[in-house]
Amino acid sequence: MNTATSKTTTITYDDRTVRQFMIASIVWGIVGMLVGVICATQLSWWQMNGKFIESITGGLFKGEGLQYITFGRLRPLHTNAVIFAFVGNMMFAGVYYSTQRLCKCRTASDLLSKIHMWGWQLIIVAAAITLPAGLTRGKEYAELIWPINIAVALIWVVFAINFFWTLAKRNEPSLYVALWFYIATIVTIAMLYIVNHLSLPTSFLHSYPVFGGFADGLVQWWYGHNAVAFFLTTPILGIMYYFLPKAANRPVYSYRLSIVHFWSLVFLYIWAGPHHLLNTSLPRWLQMLGMLFSLMLWAPSWGGMLNGLLTLRGAWAKLRTDPVIKFFVAGITFYGMATFEGPLLSIRAVNALSHYTDWGIGHVHSGALGWNGFMAAGLFYWLAPRLWKTKLWSASLANMHFWIGLVGILLYVVAMWTSGIMQGLMLGEVAEGGTTLKYEFVETLKAIQLPYILRSIGGTLYLIGFFLCAYNIFKTARSGQPHDDTVEVTVPVKEHDKMPLSQGLFSDPVAYTVAGLAAMILWFFLPPHADKAALLVAMVLGVQAVRTFRRKGQAWDQWHESLLRNYLPFTLLIFVAVAIGGGVQIVPALLVNRAKNIEGRLQELYTPLELAGRDIYVAEGCYNCHSQMIRTLVPDVMRYGRAGVVDDYSHLGESLFDHPYQWGSKRTGPDLAREGGPLVAGSTHVRSGKRDNKWHWFHFMNPRWANEDSNMPSYPWLYEKKTDFKSLPSKIAVQSRLGVPYPAWTKDEIDQQAREQGMAIARSLFEGTTPVGYEPMKGASTEELVRHFSESQVVALIAYMQKLGSYQVIIKDGLPTPTPLDPDSYRKVAEKTEAFRKGETTTNP
Amino acid sequence: MNPEIKRGNYAKEKGEVVLREHEYDGIQEFDQKLPNWWLFTFYGAIVWFVVYWGLYYHTKIYRTDQEKVVASITALHEKKEAELAALMNSLDDATMIGKLATDPVVVASGEAIYTTNCVACHAADLSATMEVAGNKIPLPGMSLNDGVWKYGSKPMDLFKLINEGTPADSPGHNGAKMVAWGQVLSPKQIAEVTAYIISKNPKDFGG
Repeated sequence: MNTATSKTTTITYDDRTVRQFMIASIVWGIVGMLVGVICATQLSWWQMNGKFIESITGGLFKGEGLQYITFGRLRPLHTNAVIFAFVGNMMFAGVYYSTQRLCKCRTASDLLSKIHMWGWQLIIVAAAITLPAGLTRGKEYAELIWPINIAVALIWVVFAINFFWTLAKRNEPSLYVALWFYIATIVTIAMLYIVNHLSLPTSFLHSYPVFGGFADGLVQWWYGHNAVAFFLTTPILGIMYYFLPKAANRPVYSYRLSIVHFWSLVFLYIWAGPHHLLNTSLPRWLQMLGMLFSLMLWAPSWGGMLNGLLTLRGAWAKLRTDPVIKFFVAGITFYGMATFEGPLLSIRAVNALSHYTDWGIGHVHSGALGWNGFMAAGLFYWLAPRLWKTKLWSASLANMHFWIGLVGILLYVVAMWTSGIMQGLMLGEVAEGGTTLKYEFVETLKAIQLPYILRSIGGTLYLIGFFLCAYNIFKTARSGQPHDDTVEVTVPVKEHDKMPLSQGLFSDPVAYTVAGLAAMILWFFLPPHADKAALLVAMVLGVQAVRTFRRKGQAWDQWHESLLRNYLPFTLLIFVAVAIGGGVQIVPALLVNRAKNIEGRLQELYTPLELAGRDIYVAEGCYNCHSQMIRTLVPDVMRYGRAGVVDDYSHLGESLFDHPYQWGSKRTGPDLAREGGPLVAGSTHVRSGKRDNKWHWFHFMNPRWANEDSNMPSYPWLYEKKTDFKSLPSKIAVQSRLGVPYPAWTKDEIDQQAREQGMAIARSLFEGTTPVGYEPMKGASTEELVRHFSESQVVALIAYMQKLGSYQVIIKDGLPTPTPLDPDSYRKVAEKTEAFRKGETTTNP
Repeated sequence: MNPEIKRGNYAKEKGEVVLREHEYDGIQEFDQKLPNWWLFTFYGAIVWFVVYWGLYYHTKIYRTDQEKVVASITALHEKKEAELAALMNSLDDATMIGKLATDPVVVASGEAIYTTNCVACHAADLSATMEVAGNKIPLPGMSLNDGVWKYGSKPMDLFKLINEGTPADSPGHNGAKMVAWGQVLSPKQIAEVTAYIISKNPKDFGG
């Protein structure tokens, strides 16, 4: 310490921003959770999609549903509100409070703090308006439309500047572990958000993502999984590292555990994204990486849990008396549980059962309610008395919040485990000696109605607990005065932040790590035998690194210590660590799996009307309940494949031109990958798939018609709203620019094609011996009906439904050649060559 | 700044748990050793990563997903075809009318299958219409109680139609084609649902 030579100064922390973020978090938390409870009830009672308003307004509103509050539109609002509004604001409150104190200086710029705080709230308001309006990009947790994306990126940059500027001005030379996690958060979220939101606009309110098909899925879950990692986990770990030792008044358990679990966590997390796409048509090598890195991630995650829980050694008595400690301990325990469950669900065999069911929903909620929600509550109860210089209004009310919330989470999670496992098992159950499936999809949905109701009750209890929290914080604030801490700090002689970047980057630990990783990556991609040599090199480097560490451990420790006093090289190393995983997965996958390399099945292009229908499908949020992915699993192929086709799982080429991809992540309804079918004999416009146009007509009007146990919303507005024909030329132009091989159609050709197909489908509905009817246009002539409906959204959507699963077969003769950057191709080549030699095949299957 | 707590070097010499000297805004840190079981799970996962990757890409222990599914589904199809062939040996128009359609157990089970799978298009009363505000609105399917049997009026024609779906060369019913229920149902179930439909149309099939 430089106490002898340095001067002191008095500073006042900016706690006003902290108060604002905290209040915003509580308000948006209530909104987000309330929307969640509504969504939960919608799965039990379809009337909750709008019809219930009929009875509560005494008939003032009439309708089978209200488009703005259907599950497909509300669920994105729920997830965005909870992630970005509730946890986001909570994170900012925690970061702004602790960073100032860990840097011993006020936040760099009050103006930037204000822009950050109010800008973020404006974004949330914009989200709350656009999502129910059906304006969406159709990618989970990345639904917001492109102008809002730009606003988010800008505000994030404001936050980053403010944060790093504060680091630069700090009066504490060395960075505490909480700050490491904050740095990782800021850098990584910027990278993920920007890449996953790359889009080309077709209008001010609509865009298509630049990636398509499996690549869009890969980028989406690289983002989605790591939004969990770097938005819901790392900042909260940072908050834990500051506020838990404060509240417990105990030293952190292990500094070296902090170092080891921090670096392993940020490096490994990024690789695990493909575990959201297991058993799909995603190339196998990516699935292998997703699964195996998830297993490796278990220990680093538990490192955080251990450092949290073991910090309490010697302070466990406080668990009985202090609500803050109670919430933190329960939150960290849920973190441990969820990070054990995560690797478990990433095992391909387990995932075969769990994926697309409620098990996943239960898993994220043990994280969101248990870890995030309880850490937030602990933080608020700790902060409020300090921010208003008073004491907590009621500890017993906080205790009540704790118990109600805990019962709520347990009820919720157990209900979701039950329904997820039960439905997963039922969907795979066979009958008649294994030749048929025992249950229709809707029968499995009916079987999980009790867990669904219990889930709604659990969620409601949790929400009630949160209301108690809000009231308690409100009363606490009212009992005190807004207070900003003023402290006297020592200004050190500036010796920190002077390390040249080169010195931070070129050192033994970095050299060994980079060389070892390079060898490991070569092991993935090199052809047979060369890859084994690469693995050997990686192992030798690993052994050598351990030996060097044994010898020069002190020097490595010194290097890391000096890195902590130099935030720029430290930040740069974090960026390198988080950039590797995504780069190694995404870049090769994009280069290899292009349309020109596709063998077997390649998607047929959508006609203009089908494309318009697809945009309606996306806007209504159908992907929230329906997948378009028949996995390489027997029950999936039996249920969703076509009769007599043995390889009718979804192939990679079948969705290659889908911007955005629509594989889905949860099946509340059945898969739709093969819903469509061939053109009807004699027509160039009308297709008939698993079900014909009239079936879809009745079904969108009232899904209970097809099956009384269906919980799908009714979509009466699709029959009134017009399809947006005008925007089709610009949409198709953008698709062409993204690589979808559309012919060079003129605007008029596009418009004419769309209208002709609309007319043909409308005629198929209203002409012939058994026309469908439409009650609101009773008395209209057939011609009037055809004309009206040819432009209606329901006809465009039917056009899209009937196109699903259409593909052309591409046969490439001769022996395949190995593809660089595709580990699977070597195996394929070896097998095909063998088959070729034996005379089993002359072409590729 | 209490020197008694700040005992980093002293503790190191004594071999005790190290409390690091530096503190951050009053937060101190121990420097405990990493738990062995924790390290073991970490190393174990890394070893498994190398082993599993090696096994998959360098041995034939694991087949690809595609190979596995195609093999299973092919076996399943063969089994189903064998079942169908066996059933067809014992099933003809006369058995269908005389034995199955008069067996209440078979008919009841056929009705259950019909209710689950067929009512959406053919209606519970087989009329292929539904009532909306007093009007009869036609459903996509063909009526099964109007005496018209477009694809053949023999019981086994009906069986074949349900099993294989609307013939590929047929334009369908106003463009609508029925799916091949053989994909979803077993041959026995198709026989049952056929029996149910026959039992509802004694005049047409009574002979």
